[in-house]
Amino acid sequence: MIIITRPDITDAQLDHLRERIEAAGLHTHLSRGEHRTIVGCIGDEARLEELPLRSIPGVESILPILKPYKLASREFVVNRTVVRVGEHASIGGHDLTIIAGPCSVENRAMLMETAVAVRSSGATILRGGAFKPRSSPYSFQGLGREALELLAAVRAETRLPVVTEVLDTRDVDLVAEHADMLQVGARNMQNYALLAELGRVQRPILLKRGLSATISELLMAAEYIMANGNHQIVLCERGIRTFERATRNTLDVSAIPVLKRESHLPVIVDPSHAGGDAKLVAPLAYAAIAAGADGLIVEVHPNPEDALSDGDQSLDFKAFASMMSRIPAFAIAAERSFQAPSWREALVGAGIA
Amino acid sequence: MTTPGTPPDPRVELSACRAEIEQLDQKLVALLAERVTLGRRTAHLKRAAGLPILDPQREAEVIRRAVEAARQHGLPLEAVREVFWHVVGLSRRAQEEIP
Repeated sequence: MIIITRPDITDAQLDHLRERIEAAGLHTHLSRGEHRTIVGCIGDEARLEELPLRSIPGVESILPILKPYKLASREFVVNRTVVRVGEHASIGGHDLTIIAGPCSVENRAMLMETAVAVRSSGATILRGGAFKPRSSPYSFQGLGREALELLAAVRAETRLPVVTEVLDTRDVDLVAEHADMLQVGARNMQNYALLAELGRVQRPILLKRGLSATISELLMAAEYIMANGNHQIVLCERGIRTFERATRNTLDVSAIPVLKRESHLPVIVDPSHAGGDAKLVAPLAYAAIAAGADGLIVEVHPNPEDALSDGDQSLDFKAFASMMSRIPAFAIAAERSFQAPSWREALVGAGIA
Repeated sequence: MTTPGTPPDPRVELSACRAEIEQLDQKLVALLAERVTLGRRTAHLKRAAGLPILDPQREAEVIRRAVEAARQHGLPLEAVREVFWHVVGLSRRAQEEIP
């Protein structure tokens, strides 16, 4: 449940209120807004039944949350969450955020070339796989630690923060040392040991929806990370498995407004994995922005034909630039903004942004 | 290593600061160890007195006092609260482990 406090509640009254709830064995979560403060209660709410909550000074009203997710739910916090990535990027504000880069890091030259290209088209975060969860054990599994070092080196040179996937609880600290944001892939969305470990990391998490996971299950996965202490989470819709075989997955566009209604967390879309086809990336990206997504994560490769993984769905630099040139129009239509890369590039060049 | 007329090298002071922080961290860990030892003793005493090991009321008091102290020091309250739930948890797990 959540407790909405009176606007004039004092710090001492707030401390007292939280102590009463915590003494009953529940945890509290505070969300302060400009006009009101919400105290969220997490734990066995039956224990609060005997507590005269309404008569505790400073309490205005009490609302039950009937959803299984609490920390991730829209009711729990006053303002929508904006997740900061690295020093200069953020996801969830008024501006759209575009993440782009190769499916997997193959070598330094291709990573650097891709980073510079996507940055000049307006991407503000670089993606790149180091550990790859391939469906076949015989496919390329990623460069691992070497790729992490390449990502960190390219970040230093381009000033683009990087996001990369972590597959194994044993690698969490290593990946957190090299990356600005850690990704949980679709296949690991319900790997609860990994989610719990990520709750203890001081890095934002990009949480991808599982191939067969419901919206509620995605939010419960986010709740798992949050309950372990990390509230910096970005949700990612990347297509779900349906009976339709013309596309690799089916992009669940309706998940975007539903997630925005149910949760305060930012929502981005991966049009590359959703369609599994480079020709589908741009239209799916436009649809995502029109539906209210906070950003995109797109696979870009200097030469998709030669890519070691997911070449079919990767855009080349020209196709990415062409897609990006049309993003501002869709952003305006969705009452969002997208900073034109030209002057941002100038800022980066001048060492300001 | 400052000579008159040249500004002090901030890197020298930085490494001195870091050395001091490292020493503080060592002390913090030693204090945590001491706290866990005391927690184990209270576990024995609680058992002898027939009291339950888990005492949420007491934990809530510990948190409130830590938050009050944090306020006096001008520290971010929610962050200190978080840290202290972990400190309390450390002690609680140590108490629960005792046969």
